[in-house]
Amino acid sequence: MLLPAVRLDVGDLVLSVDEQPLHDGERIVLFGPNGAGKTSYVRAVAGVGPGADDPVAAAYLPQRPYAFRGSGAANLLMGLAPARHATAQALAAELGIADVLLRPARALSGGERHRLALARVLARPEPLVLLDEPLAPLDVRDRAAVARVIARAIGHRAAVIVSHDREEAAILGGTLAVMVDGSIRQRGPVTEVFALPDDDDIAAIVGVGNVLRGEVNRTRGALVELAVGDQTLWGMGDAASGPATALFGAEAVTVYAGSVTGGSARNVWSGRVMATRETGRLVELVVGVGAIEVVALITPGSRDALSLQVGAEVTVALKATAVRIVGT
Amino acid sequence: MEFLGEVLRDALSFLADAGPELRRVLGLTLAVSGTATIIGVVVGVPLGVALGWGRFRGRGPLLALVNTGMGMPPVLAGLFFLLLLWRDGPLGAWGVLFTPTAMILAQAALAIPIAAGITAGAVRGLSPDAVEQLRALGLDRWSEGRVLVREAWPGVLAAVAAAFGRVVAEVGAVLVVGGNIQGETRVLTTAIVQEARQARFGAAVALGFVLLIVALIVNGALTWLQLRTE
Repeated sequence: MLLPAVRLDVGDLVLSVDEQPLHDGERIVLFGPNGAGKTSYVRAVAGVGPGADDPVAAAYLPQRPYAFRGSGAANLLMGLAPARHATAQALAAELGIADVLLRPARALSGGERHRLALARVLARPEPLVLLDEPLAPLDVRDRAAVARVIARAIGHRAAVIVSHDREEAAILGGTLAVMVDGSIRQRGPVTEVFALPDDDDIAAIVGVGNVLRGEVNRTRGALVELAVGDQTLWGMGDAASGPATALFGAEAVTVYAGSVTGGSARNVWSGRVMATRETGRLVELVVGVGAIEVVALITPGSRDALSLQVGAEVTVALKATAVRIVGT
Repeated sequence: MEFLGEVLRDALSFLADAGPELRRVLGLTLAVSGTATIIGVVVGVPLGVALGWGRFRGRGPLLALVNTGMGMPPVLAGLFFLLLLWRDGPLGAWGVLFTPTAMILAQAALAIPIAAGITAGAVRGLSPDAVEQLRALGLDRWSEGRVLVREAWPGVLAAVAAAFGRVVAEVGAVLVVGGNIQGETRVLTTAIVQEARQARFGAAVALGFVLLIVALIVNGALTWLQLRTE
């Protein structure tokens, strides 16, 4: 699948995005600050707004879905062929709104209306799914569950999902495309873009961070142990089993020269500095720990004091409370 | 004051003695203006939806035309249909001049721009979120129109009320193409003109009162429908 090129000049914003190839099942999270042009881009791709010469047929969720007059059920089935009605109803049930469908749609809460629109758009048959901030209006505690429903419903179709939240991007996306000032500045696997932003601008937008995918080993209260590559990692979260993603900021990682013992941090690993990079006033260290890589942010002073050059043996420590683990 | 009191007494006695003639005038008024309103709504509401929603060539000029039509003097509509339906006119062969059919045609021509203009305004007043969501749904034109009419429903009811109010109250068009023939083409407004000109003020006031009651009942019903949807 090929997303059309989009060119649009609306004064404040000049949108210029080349054709974007998408393989089946690829989910692009379009990430960027407010006003970067994310919404204008997906509107153009869907043909709802101007900018694309050949918009593609897509299931498109607007940023602020609207409830029309009539019942929730009438709204749910709008624009769906009868063959898709059962799918829409099943999605409504998965999203927890099956019991409000008989009420007038306008009497529903904002969250319920949003889920209604989400069930409707996910039930559509188009091979491309475009979702503009699908999790933003939901309670934080519901987001991971809804994200799983979204991922399952998209299935092997291609998707573009607009987000400006790192956690949301990590849960929903396989590919991350960072949009700045109307153009896509970096596109790659989510983990890679978060860990190794191309430049300082992108680093400032995505926030230098760690995104590690793994499998839940066990839980202890709110603590979750995640198997990542050949390592294990303790964090906080509600994922109970199955695949999950650990997120933590690079500034949360402490780096010691040599080895240490007796700290309070639950995650202590020995590793080797793989790369260093200046990012503005700080230094980003990529530390290889077995098969995984951890990104740490330290001051130039620390780097010099500890002589943390490429190849140096180090110990990295990370408190479990600084790690958020979400089911994927 | 004595004069006005006398007029009022005459009006009441006129209503008390009202026979088949008043019923015939009232019936014809409702039939002519009701039919003209129905035609105006059936043609004008879809036209209004198209003008308010669609993006097509000629939309601007058509919208300007409709807005002009909303303010067209009824007597001009009457004159236009008089020429059209005149014995030697383009539609003279129909032979409907000075019949209720001609009155319905002239009033429908007045009702269509009113219904279209107010509907178009209501559709254009829908929230940008509604517009965006509707475009995203990718409905066929027919379903899209149905959703729009339902979303703009209070505005559409206002269009119906305004169209009926305009035609039931106008005198110029029905007078010119109907001729105010007693027992055939006389309606409430033309009857009022007739009675007033002959200084039968009591009858004129009584007929005016009936006209107000008709307007009150129709608008009351439409307002009730409007409030119920909100």
